[in-house]
Amino acid sequence: MAPVEDEWKKGSAELLILSLLEAQPRHGYDIGGLIELRSGGMLHFHVASLYPLLYRLEKRGWIQGRWIEKADQRRRRYYRLTTEGRRVLAVQRKKWQAFVGAVGRVAGVEHA
Amino acid sequence: MREWKHEIRKRLAGSNLRPEREAEIIEELSAHLQDQYSQLRAGGATHEEALRAVIAELDATDLLPELQVSEEIVGRNPAPVGAASTGQWIFDFLQDLRYAARTLRKSPGFTAIATLTLALGIGANTAIFTIIDTLVLNPLPVARIWELAAVNTTQQKMAAQSGELQLLSFLNFKGFRETTHSFSHLLGHSNPMAITMADEREPRRIFVEVVTANYFDTLGLNPFMGRFFFASEDAMPGTAAVAVLGYSAWQSRFGGAPDIVGRTIKLNNTPFTIIGIGPKGFKGLYAVFGPDIWVTSMMAEQILPAPQRKALSDRAIPLLTAVGRLKPGITLAQARAEMNIIAAALEKEYPDVNQGQAVALRPLTEAAYGPERQGLLFGSALLMAIVGFVLLIACSNVANLLLSRAAARRQEIAVRMALGAGRGRLLRQLLTESVLLGLLGGVLGFLFGYAGCQFLWSLRPAEYAQNLADLRINPSVFGFAFVVSVLTGLVFGIVPALRSSRSSVSEMLKEETRTVGRSRSRISLANTLLAGQVAVSLVLLVVAALFLRSIRHEYTIDPGFETKHLALFMLYPGQAGYDQPRTEQFYKQVRGRIAGVPGISFVSWASNLPLWGRKETGVTIEGQEQRKKSEAISTVVNTVDLDYFATLGISFVAGRDFTQGDRDISIPVAIVNDTMAAKYWPGQDAIGKRLQLPQGKQFLQIIGVVKTTNYQSLGEAPQACVYLPLRQNYSDSMILYAKTERDPSATVAAVQNEIRNFDPALPLEDVRTGTKVIDQALWGAKVGVGLLGVFGLLALGLASVGLYGIMAYSVSQRRREIGVRMALGAGQSDVSFFILRQGMVVVFSGIAVGGGLAFLLGHALSRFLYGVSPNDPLSVGGAALALLVAAFVACYLPARSATRVDPLVALRDA
Repeated sequence: MAPVEDEWKKGSAELLILSLLEAQPRHGYDIGGLIELRSGGMLHFHVASLYPLLYRLEKRGWIQGRWIEKADQRRRRYYRLTTEGRRVLAVQRKKWQAFVGAVGRVAGVEHA
Repeated sequence: MREWKHEIRKRLAGSNLRPEREAEIIEELSAHLQDQYSQLRAGGATHEEALRAVIAELDATDLLPELQVSEEIVGRNPAPVGAASTGQWIFDFLQDLRYAARTLRKSPGFTAIATLTLALGIGANTAIFTIIDTLVLNPLPVARIWELAAVNTTQQKMAAQSGELQLLSFLNFKGFRETTHSFSHLLGHSNPMAITMADEREPRRIFVEVVTANYFDTLGLNPFMGRFFFASEDAMPGTAAVAVLGYSAWQSRFGGAPDIVGRTIKLNNTPFTIIGIGPKGFKGLYAVFGPDIWVTSMMAEQILPAPQRKALSDRAIPLLTAVGRLKPGITLAQARAEMNIIAAALEKEYPDVNQGQAVALRPLTEAAYGPERQGLLFGSALLMAIVGFVLLIACSNVANLLLSRAAARRQEIAVRMALGAGRGRLLRQLLTESVLLGLLGGVLGFLFGYAGCQFLWSLRPAEYAQNLADLRINPSVFGFAFVVSVLTGLVFGIVPALRSSRSSVSEMLKEETRTVGRSRSRISLANTLLAGQVAVSLVLLVVAALFLRSIRHEYTIDPGFETKHLALFMLYPGQAGYDQPRTEQFYKQVRGRIAGVPGISFVSWASNLPLWGRKETGVTIEGQEQRKKSEAISTVVNTVDLDYFATLGISFVAGRDFTQGDRDISIPVAIVNDTMAAKYWPGQDAIGKRLQLPQGKQFLQIIGVVKTTNYQSLGEAPQACVYLPLRQNYSDSMILYAKTERDPSATVAAVQNEIRNFDPALPLEDVRTGTKVIDQALWGAKVGVGLLGVFGLLALGLASVGLYGIMAYSVSQRRREIGVRMALGAGQSDVSFFILRQGMVVVFSGIAVGGGLAFLLGHALSRFLYGVSPNDPLSVGGAALALLVAAFVACYLPARSATRVDPLVALRDA
């Protein structure tokens, strides 16, 4: 399957990341891998766009990164969802659903 | 792992990220790449394949622009939560500031000396700027001063005599005001005049200005309390006895009484009601000297002295300066052209009084100074330049201190560079430190400056202190002090910072073994700075010495009249309600009584105070009437009683003194001085010739010629003077002159008693001795010279301390060299000579340069010097000697300590 149009990807990227962090804190490599895995390889973020995106979300106060050292491992930066991030995620989800629904009704595509 | 970091760093080049942030990003990204790499390898890829894939992944998108967007986003997009940082540079700046504060705290000695040095320099600048700001830059607190222009007249269109400005008569002023279209408002105000004020307490002398009712409104002022004049109060002569009191007069004369508005006071024995208090800080339209109180022009008859009493109806009596607000779009030149047309019309209509009059129109900012403007501007510029130099010396001292410290901080700087601090970053850090020092010095300096100004202002002559401009600390003074502090920090910081940050890390580390070579170049820069300091100090000292000698000469100027045994009593019988016969009786009786006081040899009355001569322009010389048309003849005019010349010790060249016989019924007579006689009757006998004064109705016959004295200032060019007999020229305010046999202060009390016995209602607060008159005339110059001296010594002190500091440092740096020399057989005297020579070479080169500069400057200043040549050997030699002695001591102390170097210890330590 052809890779999803870049613009679509950009529009949904924030939602994807916030969603992945909802359940538990994760580090960047983990996030990148999960996106690719769960989208069945359809969505892939390059390292040079994934991290700037994370930093952007962090600056906005939606996620928070912290260096964590575990035994026998390099220290890694884990990101967790902040309260504000949780609120934003709820709003974005709702909007996204409405958007996808609208697109579906107009374009005549079945709702997923 | 290492390669990843390297690859990422390459892609981040030029990102301007904070170093800590950059390190963090690199670590995080490289971990990611490493994970990717490991995963690929685990999937069976070779090292090369995995490496290529990871790098391709890294380069799939451009990292830097993406990152910059994320890092900047906060600045543009007000952060919702938690994002406190507001931009990289502020963060850097704060970090630098904290670091700088820590560094300065760590070396309190250095910080204290540098701060104090800078504070002296900045303080001197702040003090002088405050004074200039008060007197020159913001002289009058009125609205939109640039729209205001002052109107006076000058006699004649002739260029040669453009100088003398005259007041307008009230009627001419009305003519201008009714006709002009250039000004939206035109006000008239008199000069400040001394009058007698009486309330419940003792009568006192204050200064009044007669003004038109629109005075305050034209200037755009609001009363501090109460109200200003209504137009109706300035419509009919003598009807509205109301007055506006100045703010500082209210404070000083009435203790700021809150119930002042509505109170009645007597001015020249006429009751006036105070209707308002003027705005704070406003003292009339002259920058330097102002009135205590204002009354309307229609009260002129009640306020003015006898000769001017008809000012409202007599077109020949000068009274007002007009000040107008230009209508929008009208230029000064247009207004001047219009006023001259009006003047021509007035001349045509009233040729006998207005003949030859032309209009002089000047911006108020210029008119506010009168004839002292030149001197004031010159003095301001000179003092500003001098304190600027003092500050330069202070800067170069601190720069030298910083250079010494830079040597000690090489390690620290090398470490910072090794850790990756860029040169720009390092430079910024060092400059932040010096600017912080500058600001510390600025705060202390501002306090110094403020205290200095207060002190200086407290030296004002007490008689006039409250009529002189108040010192104002405007916001511009704060601004000035701040800008000077920051600039100072940059100036003294830039060279040491550039030098410290120039060298590469490796060079710095190598340097540990190359101390001598490096400190040589450091010392040569320091020496240049020092020689500059010596040169500037010499220039300042020479200038101060020249002016000091000049003012000493001024004190020895013979004004042409007695000063040591002279006492003056200002009396205004007319202002106490005396009519003319009673006043004339008073003059006669007081003179008789005082002459009987033991210790008094002569007594007389005169209208002029010494060196405050009144001038009149437009004298007619009989037989030379044509001359009046082409030349405005002006002379000093003094009305005097019998024995005046004997009292002041002015001798006769020809003719006779006034006598009892020169009375109102005899022919009108006058005495002139020899300058006048020589100018208008050259080669002839002036006795018997006749002249007419501008306001006189008759020709006066000259009966005597006396020696010329100084009339308006000490050491002035000879001026013409006409003396009139009191008995033919009534005046109700005169000054009593008494010549004493011994020190006049001993007799003053006896004379005062005698006058009080005569009439206790007469105000008698203004009593002076002749020497005090001279003192006051030289007051401004004395303060100026005092300042020059203080700044000269300050420069000398700073330069000596700087010299000592650098010599001591150089000795400590060269201990090893000195040790070697001593080990090789150099004696103590050789060593101290060698060190001393090194210092004195710098001093002599500084003196050579400074001497040249002082020579040039002295010549530029020569026209302001009295009786001293700009090459005055005593001034130049004295200044150079003082500098040499101070410099020698500053070099000798370190030289002596060099001789105490123990070769063994020095060599072992090295």
